[in-house]
Amino acid sequence: MALTITCPICGKRNGYEFRYGGEDKGPRPEEAGLTPEAWCDYVHMNKCVAGVQKEWWFHKDGCGSWFTIHRDTTTNLEVKGPEADK
Amino acid sequence: MFSKQKPMWGEKTQLKSSYDAVIIGGGLHGLATAYYLAKEHGITDVAIIEKNYIGFGGAGRNTAIVRANQRTQYNVPLYNEALKLWPILTKELDYNLMFNNCGNLNLMHSEAAMKAARMTIATAQFHGVESHLIDAKEAKELVPALNISEDITFPIHGAMFHPPGGIVRHDAVVWGLARGANKYGVEIHQQTEATGIKTQNGKVTAVETSRGTINTKQVLISAGGYSAALIYGMLGIKLPISVLTIQAMVTQPLKPLLNHVVSSGAYHCYANQTLKGEVATGAHMDQWPNYTTQNTAHYIKHQAEALSEFLPCLRGVKFMRIWGGLADMTPDMAPIMDGNDHVEGFYMDCGWGYFGFKSCSAVGKYMAQFMAEKECPEILKPFNYRRYEKHQLMGETAALVNYTPDN
Ligand SMILES: Cc1cc2nc3c(=O)[nH]c(=O)nc-3n(C[C@H](O)[C@H](O)[C@H](O)COP(=O)(O)OP(=O)(O)OC[C@H]3O[C@@H](n4cnc5c(N)ncnc54)[C@H](O)[C@@H]3O)c2cc1C
Ligand SMILES: [Zn+2]
Repeated sequence: MALTITCPICGKRNGYEFRYGGEDKGPRPEEAGLTPEAWCDYVHMNKCVAGVQKEWWFHKDGCGSWFTIHRDTTTNLEVKGPEADK
Repeated sequence: MFSKQKPMWGEKTQLKSSYDAVIIGGGLHGLATAYYLAKEHGITDVAIIEKNYIGFGGAGRNTAIVRANQRTQYNVPLYNEALKLWPILTKELDYNLMFNNCGNLNLMHSEAAMKAARMTIATAQFHGVESHLIDAKEAKELVPALNISEDITFPIHGAMFHPPGGIVRHDAVVWGLARGANKYGVEIHQQTEATGIKTQNGKVTAVETSRGTINTKQVLISAGGYSAALIYGMLGIKLPISVLTIQAMVTQPLKPLLNHVVSSGAYHCYANQTLKGEVATGAHMDQWPNYTTQNTAHYIKHQAEALSEFLPCLRGVKFMRIWGGLADMTPDMAPIMDGNDHVEGFYMDCGWGYFGFKSCSAVGKYMAQFMAEKECPEILKPFNYRRYEKHQLMGETAALVNYTPDN
């Protein structure tokens, strides 16, 4: 299905110009006191939401930016994130 | 499908308020597990809860390829047992599963790929599975339609030939297992959605459904591509899974020209000719997670380009149908089968990506043993959930590159 992604620099572009970068999991955990479980959670584990999720994208065939968007995984449509209403 | 008539598998029954075991998902794995629970372990008070209809998921959408030439020593014995079960199940279920053991030809397009194939073949041979390395000329003898000229994008260097694999009619497996399980007393409840799992003191007590609460001490989630979202939603357990749409299509029927399953990692394309004459072919997965199961012009074009290069006689042939399903991919291309870990009485069988058809017979047998004896059978132990935090990922990726959403 067609997908468009809005790059903060280049604007709305064809989805195939981008590389998916994973679910947004917040900042990388601190090294101090890091357990294998917490590291694994950050590296591998996903929520696999069937609905809206915040996720990372990389404009690989464009400006090279990394950024986050909100997308509905059941429709492939970009949606406004909760921050947009603040 | 949901008419007043008697369903094909047996009598319709009322949903009860309790069962010895509840299985979420009426796909291949749920049906097979229920069948073996009842047949091998005498656990017949089992309900299969299916949101749509049996076979709605990957069970009715897959390209039906079966084989046992995986990369690692953990996977090969499981898939080999599954492969050997097709003729046995055909008899046991008294249902024609149409096992066509035409063999699989996996094309290699570089010397590096030939080297990887040698490793994979050594693993197969070590486990008593027939698999050979052949050169391009021998591949051409097996499949005369193959283009072995050096003038294509990915010239063919040779192939891995696995004669015992082939194709099984996927719908027949669904129908045969449903009827087989029902004969032993298993109930199948379609149009019933599981919405939650209740626990108390770390033990499963009930399953919530769109048609009420069902008390049970044992529940299995085997909901294919939907499993990861369900397990997180119901129990807060995250899985190392990405869910991607994967597409497949068939051409118009043609005279016989392909008598083996042919696949190519470099072209991201595999094809076989069905007994009706159509060329059934599968493509790469979408590059970003989604649950749409929708088709894209991108893959129709890709598929046409790939096929017309290595099977040039297909140029100009028309695609008749195209469809999509879900593939739940793990980082090590191997499934997750576990139970009684986070919650007593909770079992999971997921992460089957685009290879959960060929395994369903053996997995059903061992998941049933797991649930009946409450002890993980040896053969399933390497597939445990904790392997990721222990950095014990399986090396199933050797034969296929660039298949994760993160590439
Ligand atoms: C296009 C395509 C090609 C494939 N090709 C092959 C192949 O050639 N060889 C191979 O081995 N594998 C192949 N596969 C993979 C294979 O189809 C799957 O791995 C397999 O179907 C998984 O079986 P399952 O029983 O776990 O899940 P499914 O067969 O997907 O069944 C899951 C069921 O759970 C139900 N469900 C979901 N949510 C709920 C809920 N909340 N409550 C109740 N029920 C629910 C769904 O309706 C569905 O019926 C392919 C898959 C696709 C999509
Ligand atoms: Zn950009």
